Parts: sequence; C-alpha cells; structure tokens
Amino acid sequence: MRWTACELHSHTFHSDGRQSLLELAEGAKSLGFECVALTDHNTMTGLENKERVESDTGMTIISGMEWTTFYGHMVTIGLTAFVDWRPAGPGDIDAGIARVHAAGGIAGMAHPFRIGSPMCTGCFWEFEISDWNALDYIEVWSGTFPSIKTDNARAFRLWTEKLNEGYRIAATSGRDWHAQDRTEEPVSVTYLLLDDSKDGVTERAVRALAAGRAAVTMGPLVTLELRSETGVFGIGACVPAQDRSTGYEAVATIDFGAREGKWAFPDAGYTLALTSNLGVIGEADASEEQTEYGFDIPGDGLLWVRAELKGTVRGVRTTIAFTNAIYADSDQA
Amino acid sequence: MKRLVLDAEGLVQPVCSKTHIAYSFHLAKPGGKLWIDFAYEPKNLEDRERSRELIAAGVEKYTEPAQRELVMDRWESFLPLKNLITVSVDDPARHRGAGHRHDPEQLLQLGEEEASPGFVSGELIEGLWRVTLSLHAIVTDDCRYRLRIHHEEA
Repeated sequence: MRWTACELHSHTFHSDGRQSLLELAEGAKSLGFECVALTDHNTMTGLENKERVESDTGMTIISGMEWTTFYGHMVTIGLTAFVDWRPAGPGDIDAGIARVHAAGGIAGMAHPFRIGSPMCTGCFWEFEISDWNALDYIEVWSGTFPSIKTDNARAFRLWTEKLNEGYRIAATSGRDWHAQDRTEEPVSVTYLLLDDSKDGVTERAVRALAAGRAAVTMGPLVTLELRSETGVFGIGACVPAQDRSTGYEAVATIDFGAREGKWAFPDAGYTLALTSNLGVIGEADASEEQTEYGFDIPGDGLLWVRAELKGTVRGVRTTIAFTNAIYADSDQA
Repeated sequence: MKRLVLDAEGLVQPVCSKTHIAYSFHLAKPGGKLWIDFAYEPKNLEDRERSRELIAAGVEKYTEPAQRELVMDRWESFLPLKNLITVSVDDPARHRGAGHRHDPEQLLQLGEEEASPGFVSGELIEGLWRVTLSLHAIVTDDCRYRLRIHHEEA
C-alpha cells in the first residue's frame, strides 16, 4: 500500500479553465502531486490526450467530470463515459449518484457551501440526499489555503455531523484549479492509500477513496491506525462488532518529509488531536523530531475517530492536516 | 455547402433561470460538419441597485448569520452579475459534449476529425439531433438569444 498525492478537482479549457491538460499535469507535478483528476464542467473531452500527457509527465490522470447543475456541483471520478447531469432536479441526486456508480464512478459533493446563484451558479448544494451512505465523499476543503475559509469550515462540520449520525463518508480537498496562476497560499493535497494490485493507478485511487483511505493536508502527511488485541485498523477501515474493545491504542504518524520542499510552516507549534463522536479523545504537542504519537483511547461508544494536526500558518492558528475516519461497528449491530 | 438547419431566437427572463430549452432538428445526410452559432445578450446586469438586491438575497440564503455582514461589506466583489447560458449537443445515438463557459458568443463546430473544446468529434450521423441551452442564470430583466445551426455537408 502506498500513499499517493492527488489533486481531485481541476479544469481545462474544455470547460471554463484556462489551461491545457498538459499544463495542468506539469503544474501539478511541480507542486509534488503524483496524480490529478480532471473534472471539467459537464464534459470529458479534456481527457482526449490523457495517455500522451501521462507518458510525457509521468503523472496519472484520473478521468472525471464535475456535474455543474442548477442545484449543486458534484465531482465524479473514475468513470470513462459521460453520465448525463441534465435530468437532475432538486430531488433527483440519489438517482444521479446511482447512475454514476453504475458507470463505474464515485461521486462527491463539491464545495457544498460556496455561495450560490447568481454569484456562482449552482455552487451551493441544494439537492436533497435521501441516502447519505450512497455519497462517496465531501470536498470539505476547496481552493488554496482552504482551512481558514468559512465555507470550508461549514463543509467540515457537515462531514462531522454525518459521521456522528453513523454514515461513512470520505472527506477530500480539491483546489478547483482553473489556471496556472502562481499562488503563495498553501496548497492542499488529498493523499490516497493505493492497494498493491496490478490494476492501474486510476482504479486503485478510486477504490481507495471509495473505501475512505484518504488523508488531507497542506503540509505533512498525517496517518492513523487503531490497534487492538484482534488486529490493526487503518484509515477507512472498520472495527467489526465482534472485535470491539473497551479501549484501543491509537497511533498517529506524521511524515514531515511528504512533498519535501513544497511547503514550509516555520514555528507552527504543532498540536495533534484525535477527534471522534465522543469529542476530542487524545491530544499531544507534535514536532518534526517525532514521527509516531500513541494514545490510549476509549472503545465504549466509539463510532469513529480521526487525527487532526493544527498549527500556526501565516499567523493564523488553523488545521493543517486531517485524516479520514476509522470506524467501529455499533455494539447493537 | 453550408445548409441552414435551424435558426431560432428567444427572449428569456429571470424566472427562466434553472431551465433547459432544447431544439431538435433533423440531419438528413450523414457526414460533414455542424456549425453552431450561439449568442446571447446582455451578458452583465449593469443595474447596481438591482445587483445589490440580488446579492443580498443570495447572501441571506446561502451564508450563515454570523458571516452575512462581513460578506455584504464586500458585496461589490461579486459584480458584475452575469447571465449564463451553456450549450450541449446530443446526436441520435449519444451525447456529443458541452461548452460550459461564459463567452456570450460562441461559434462551435463538430466534425468527424475535430470539434470545439468540450465537444465530441466523430462522424455526424443521420437522424434527429438535439441542441440544449441550459439557462444556469438569467439576472437581467430580459435576455435575448439567437441559435443558428448549419450543416456543412460532406
């Protein structure tokens, strides 16, 4: 298994972007990404020369499309054929997600709380979702320096609420990258843990995200595992009911060498927290001198747990990285 | 030879936001190239007072109470409010792409070897084609569009 640095939301001139796929891939590579999902608005023709761009740059391009509807934007990745967004009325997104799944793709809410029409048409998510488990992910961080934006804080809260309700939904970042404009702001990365099968990177990346094997960061890569007497559970995994324990050892790992040289947070004053449906269940100061951080955490009543790394960036105390959740089946299951 | 296969004009109002208008036309002969000439105007809402009202309504609807004053302090950053109509195409057998972009004048082409960005190249087949105008936002009292389609026969 290998963590792979991905950008999951991007555009070219095939919709309203101002860059070619080659320019996008080169730009992503220079920032330390290994993989980029092209999610043009309502078209997939930007992928026409995907193989050539992949071989020229060494990057993996994941096929995708952003459903740019009247009632919300939904990023879809992993499919190779167009799935029509136009029939989607406000009550039709469950059927739309089912059609994306049937075509081999997965679906995520894009920037769900960005201000909507007429300032940004359809940008605010207004679809009614009946089955939150059908939704694969929520893009909780959108844009550059995403952690300080109020729309993203709201999306992050929505994700947490859904986890508390017992749903298993992944969380990602996406730059919504339209052009190769230089930015001095921190750039966020979604790391996906790819399995070791012989399938292509696209298939493995989509499988990883569908399974919640994702960690999001503007800097160091933070990962988490739960250890019990019966096994070790990684990000996205679920402790089965029969293996539940009254307590676990949680081990968070911080890789400060991830995308080395592409970010720097001097004097960040890092703190690491384990957040769960039971609230914060572990906290520690963190520093570049230490990679592993162990916590004894309660098992009773635990539905999910994730790690969050906070620190000072550009004078603001903010979240720098977070993992996706590790889940535990309910006792009553 | 370019043969005119559709020439339509329309006038839409804000109530038409979030609607689709589809035009179907018959392509009698396969092959060749399709030219889609689409334009709408005005693009921008120039009325500042009306813009402010629409922005205030959007801020009320889409932001949390604690944020509203801050967002409204910079309401002018949302100017100009724009009409947005996008074009997508379906041939008798499959989807042929879309041009989700803000240009209010677009001359699009679809042919066997090449197509405008966003649209799918490939042989033009005989039968009933459909061009859909998706009205993402109409913010001006009136917005006039014109759609003219030519078939350049092989």
